[in-house]
Amino acid sequence: MDKLPLGLALDLRKVVPYETGSWRTLMPVNIMQTPPCNHGCPAGNDIRGFLRTLAEKKDYEEAWHVLTRTNPLPATCGRVCPHPCEDGCNRRDFDSPVAINSAERAVGDYGLEENLEHKKLIAARKEKVAVVGSGPAGLSCAFHLAKRGFQVKIFEAYGEPGGMMRYGIPSYRLPNYILRQELENIMKLGIELECNIKVGVNIPMDQLVQHYDAVFMGIGAQRGLSIDVPGQDARNVFTGVEFLREVNSGKYVDLGKDVVVIGGGNTAMDSARVAKRLGANVSVVYRRTRVEMPAITAEIDEAMEERIMFRYHTNPVKIIQDDDRVVGIMCVQMELKEPDASGRARPVPIAGSESVIPADTVILATGQAVEYDGIEVHKIDNKWISANENLMTSIDGVFAGGDAVLGLETVSAAIGQGTRAASAVEDYIDGSVESRLASPPVIYSKDLNTYYYQKTRRFEKEALPIHMRLKHFKELYPALDPEAIIDEAERCFSCGLCYNCGNCFMYCPDNAVKISEKTGLYEFDLDFCKGCGLCAKECPCHYIQMTLEK
Amino acid sequence: MREQSKYLEGVDKKDLFASGHRACGGCGQALAARLVADAAGENTIACVATGCLEVFSAPYPDPSWRIPFLHSLFENAAAVASGVDAAYKALKKGPVNIIAQGGDGSTADIGFQSISGMFERGHNVLYVCYDNEAYMNTGVQRSSFTPYGARTSTTPTGNTTRKKNMPMLAADHGIPYVATATVDDFRDLQLKIRKALTIEGPKYIHILAPCPLGWGHPGDLTVEICRLAKDTGLFPIYEIIDGKVTNVRKIPVKVPVAEYLKPQGRFKHLFKRGVPSEEVDAIQEIANQNIERFNL
Repeated sequence: MDKLPLGLALDLRKVVPYETGSWRTLMPVNIMQTPPCNHGCPAGNDIRGFLRTLAEKKDYEEAWHVLTRTNPLPATCGRVCPHPCEDGCNRRDFDSPVAINSAERAVGDYGLEENLEHKKLIAARKEKVAVVGSGPAGLSCAFHLAKRGFQVKIFEAYGEPGGMMRYGIPSYRLPNYILRQELENIMKLGIELECNIKVGVNIPMDQLVQHYDAVFMGIGAQRGLSIDVPGQDARNVFTGVEFLREVNSGKYVDLGKDVVVIGGGNTAMDSARVAKRLGANVSVVYRRTRVEMPAITAEIDEAMEERIMFRYHTNPVKIIQDDDRVVGIMCVQMELKEPDASGRARPVPIAGSESVIPADTVILATGQAVEYDGIEVHKIDNKWISANENLMTSIDGVFAGGDAVLGLETVSAAIGQGTRAASAVEDYIDGSVESRLASPPVIYSKDLNTYYYQKTRRFEKEALPIHMRLKHFKELYPALDPEAIIDEAERCFSCGLCYNCGNCFMYCPDNAVKISEKTGLYEFDLDFCKGCGLCAKECPCHYIQMTLEK
Repeated sequence: MREQSKYLEGVDKKDLFASGHRACGGCGQALAARLVADAAGENTIACVATGCLEVFSAPYPDPSWRIPFLHSLFENAAAVASGVDAAYKALKKGPVNIIAQGGDGSTADIGFQSISGMFERGHNVLYVCYDNEAYMNTGVQRSSFTPYGARTSTTPTGNTTRKKNMPMLAADHGIPYVATATVDDFRDLQLKIRKALTIEGPKYIHILAPCPLGWGHPGDLTVEICRLAKDTGLFPIYEIIDGKVTNVRKIPVKVPVAEYLKPQGRFKHLFKRGVPSEEVDAIQEIANQNIERFNL
């Protein structure tokens, strides 16, 4: 319109608005911070990522792909992980943490039901990598290397792959078919698998080092350590690892009526609960108390529910035999003194307090170590392999990870190590140095504006009733309701990442928060932002922060 | 483009009150004016009294209003709006949303007679009062909305009178709709604006709009202060429809008034070395009376 209306000297539509951005001393910025769940996950999973995908898109398939970017075994971890992520969850200080573990299991199960396949990142490369051991560490390393195009071959000493997940974890916690499906899915990436080959026995280490560009040792801690008790050479004395391996291989184990399990770790709990399911009366003998038990708390609770007897402050001194069979175990009472090097109270025997517990079978779940047969690498002590920060051992091009390096740890920790080792192997082969970006700072409850969240009830998975548990090895927790899991994912605070609540957009008195044409995300119009900080204050998840002007 | 956030369903954002205005950072009134304009929509005429809003939003040639805007004098926003309504009726045009807007001074003191007249004559006008509890535009002088105990430049030792209860005065004119709102709950505010505009006759909405400069709090606390005003009981949220108080917002967790007073510079003199004075108890008493009266 060329002609202006009567009385107007200036076309107001052509006036450039006054840019109030010059008033600003502080400017708002979007800072993506690390949520405590991601920070606490030993496998390095993007937990916030997959929960938000579930909550916003209700898309299990995409959530599965987010999760399997780091973790090749979500259905397994969703069952066996002691979920340190939930311990950190900022929702803990508000009502109760998000049931991340259950959500992971639901996503993993969806992937198996729908036969979702892992995606390869790049085309095939010619370099070959040998992975020794198909436990979580070896699988995770093989998985990440295969995704990056390497030719990977796994050598497994036992008849079936899976390592401790196959032979150590009882099937009421992790059904065999779940593990097998997840393994098959990983193998589809083009990983070669050879079972019943024990490196160091069937083929020498040197051969691997010569024929492959790199070797990863994820050999775990397969040797059960027994404590020094006279009479442990009797029949029906097992180590925990041995016992679980026998049962998980489908062999018949004659337990008798009374079983005594010695130890307070996860292997002890598993052994005790397996023995209970085989029909024995089980008692667990531990020289400290429940507080000091290294086992996962939920496992101890469940064992107690299943009427497994716990004897604390008790230490075996002698296994009593009749012929070559166990008939009982002599124990002594302990008292706890000042803490030892591990920080736990040091048990000291009380003189003259010996007693005998009748036993037909004794299971010594008192520690594990690496089985070194024919493997010559530098060791920390007799138990663990020594590796540098890139997980390389004393031999050039040989990497190690998992329980063999960490000591006894969880499946997720081993997966995390496998992931790290895969990056280290790639860098070693490419001759480059990994530039690790420091992850952004962790966000804590005090940073959040929880006014905008509502208190809701946490999803609780329901176990089988006790009378139904002990007759068989069926899974303890039946399948989860996918709808309930989506509701649970919506409880996620999305700490440190925008979840599109729109507070900044609505509250800015200067309309300086716009929806970007390109990305569709909220962005700041710094021409008009006066830097009042209202958006940062009212941002529920602390994604907006005020910084000094650039 | 990203879908509209599910958290913003039922909320309008049209930027009919655009960027580039000269309000202070964190201004509650600028925020409220935008929420009101966006809720009312394009078919709206704004008649604004003299005050901060008019001064910061309408300098020639760069007004922030993207709807027709009319400013005359300090005292006659309601009278001008009445005239607009009468003109529309005479020309048989419309319907159009006519919103008269003013600060607390032009509502309760200087412009009270024209508002009272507009209510009494029954014009189809919505009057929105942006309550920032003093004459902020001219340098924080006391108005009849200044609460008990607040320091202004004309009450340096704290105001000694109580705040005029304007929503009740408006309701006693017998008008069909009166409501109170704050800028922190934009959904509630826009809902009340839209609801009011569907009702024929004079309407009155009272919006608490914190003034970071005059109240002496950082600009980023504007929303938080509103929330505290509601949760202490000092600013009850309710509607009065045909003379009956309804839809009272229940306080989820009652907060002592000291929480509300402490972040604000205008109440700083009530806390000598952090110890609350007698006035704080008196303010708590006002809050308690509100809680009892409206059953908050």
